[in-house]
Amino acid sequence: MIKGEITYEKMMALAMAAVMTMAALTGCGGSSDSASGDVPVIGISQYGQHASLDNCREGFLLGLEESGLVEGVDYVIDYQNAGFDDTIAQQIAQNFSANNVALMCGIATNSATACYAAAEDKNIPVIFTAITDPVKAKLDSGNITGTSDKLPIEEQLKLIRALQPDAKTIGILYTTSEPNSVSAVEEYQAKAPEFGFTIEAIGVMQQSEVLQAADTMISKGVDCMTNLTDNNVVGVLPSILEKTNDAGIPVYGSEIEQVKIGCVASAGIEYVALGKRTGEMAAKILKGEATAEEMPYETITDSEIYINPGVLETLGLTVPEDIAAEAIDVTAE
Amino acid sequence: MNAMMELCISTLTQGFIYALLSYGVYITYKILDFPDLTVDGSFPLGAAVTAIMLVKGVNPFVTLLAALFIGAVAGFVTGFIHVKLGVRDLLAGIITMTALFSINLQIAGSNLAIERSIDTIFTSGPIMAIMGNSSLIYRKFVVALILAVVVKLILDWYLKTKSGLLLRAVGDNATLVTTLAKDKGNVKLLGLVIANALVALSGAVVCQEQRAFSSTMGTGQVVFGLAAVIIGTTLFRKLSFVKATTAVLVGSVFYKACIQVAISLGLPANLLKLATAVLFLVVLVLGNKQKGGEDRA
Repeated sequence: MIKGEITYEKMMALAMAAVMTMAALTGCGGSSDSASGDVPVIGISQYGQHASLDNCREGFLLGLEESGLVEGVDYVIDYQNAGFDDTIAQQIAQNFSANNVALMCGIATNSATACYAAAEDKNIPVIFTAITDPVKAKLDSGNITGTSDKLPIEEQLKLIRALQPDAKTIGILYTTSEPNSVSAVEEYQAKAPEFGFTIEAIGVMQQSEVLQAADTMISKGVDCMTNLTDNNVVGVLPSILEKTNDAGIPVYGSEIEQVKIGCVASAGIEYVALGKRTGEMAAKILKGEATAEEMPYETITDSEIYINPGVLETLGLTVPEDIAAEAIDVTAE
Repeated sequence: MNAMMELCISTLTQGFIYALLSYGVYITYKILDFPDLTVDGSFPLGAAVTAIMLVKGVNPFVTLLAALFIGAVAGFVTGFIHVKLGVRDLLAGIITMTALFSINLQIAGSNLAIERSIDTIFTSGPIMAIMGNSSLIYRKFVVALILAVVVKLILDWYLKTKSGLLLRAVGDNATLVTTLAKDKGNVKLLGLVIANALVALSGAVVCQEQRAFSSTMGTGQVVFGLAAVIIGTTLFRKLSFVKATTAVLVGSVFYKACIQVAISLGLPANLLKLATAVLFLVVLVLGNKQKGGEDRA
């Protein structure tokens, strides 16, 4: 009994020590932040680890550099990743606000929303990227601006028509709670008839349902499938592709990273370019040339065609000469 | 303002707001011994109702009452499924939580943002009249503090009333309740109603603070609530004069503070969860050690 008590006391002391150490560490963190107060801090809050979002961030940093700003002299970066957790995204944004960063950069909707909420009182400028519908997300007015990654849907339909002249139905899997996905599906449905397609859309509520929905989609006998930038769907893309490849159904991606994973092709925007434009806008704000309030958000519509020749061959698809000439082979280094 | 000071204030604010949820989890988990998973659904439910009402121009304080009410309904449903339909506690919560995922989206339409031009409890009339001169971060802090303390005091008072004592009896010794000629099922139902009303209230305040409702915002809230309750009650186990509700409040703040420390240290998000898990384990093991000591004594 006595032994037990001692162990407990020891552990309690250990825990106390741990708590105090942590408190001390935050103290240090806080003071070092204010020490580097001369150089403006850019807080980047990225919603989660994801190839496209990573590309946005890389592009953003590139954009800052190419605008003539030097890291460590003109700005320092405080990069945080929320791991797709809304609560963490909120705390990250509050951290930025408390440290009085010069600018917050929110990558993907939930992070940008959290940043904008935390910046409310101090009016810290917020810049966002990788948001499909800033108007719906209410991020279109105020001391905020950024870039929108609207899908080039017409180009994608054109591409599918060129690769599969006889195809009739296109399947789309999407998450019903994602405003971005819902509006993209609506646009697909509106534009598909122009190219002689009908859309077969299946909505899911969470990632665990996606593969079942993919099975249903295959059983419906669609001629091909196309992706949106839907995180739940893209997250399990490799498993979807296993199924569709077995069934001989080509899947078109919505951006380069999906084609790298094994989609046949994509007319997609380039996320590094999107991020770069965002970085240039951020540089303007930092230099004082314009405020986020004055600058309207920009929608990047330029798209590139990406192809994966290996997968194309497996599925027996041929790329017409004119498209092949401008397409980018994602497997070539 | 000093950055460190400000960070502490916003962390405390978070702790207070989420303490409302933790009180709810305290009632179900600690008092009723009921693992209630409804929380992951009733938290965003409160937020969804609040978001849609705010967008439609309803007074922000009224939305809090609406959230309390609708959360109570959610708790009632779980209670009904468990007590009246005889479904196991864990499953009853899962059923309601799953249903709420759809219902929340039906209520809010989709993820919903609330424009800055719309007043929240932190920017509307009464608060601005009293402390309109102080910055938003202070206003948020004061409002959250008041909410957390007032709800705590009401709970403390309630748990001493006859109804509250019965609630405590159901978790500790259900037979006693039966011998008192009371239906323990109804008491459980009442507990779930109160707990989920508080959880939804917490969701409503978070929605106003964040100016957004997202369908995924409920994910992991049960785990947070459990952690706050267990950390709090474990930390204060030896200090019997500290009320359990106070302990839960501190537990909630402690948890949020740990996350904030991790973020400040620049810990990657993936490691953040691991750090939380380790902390949780340490506190749990501590709690068990202590329990063991008591048992032997």
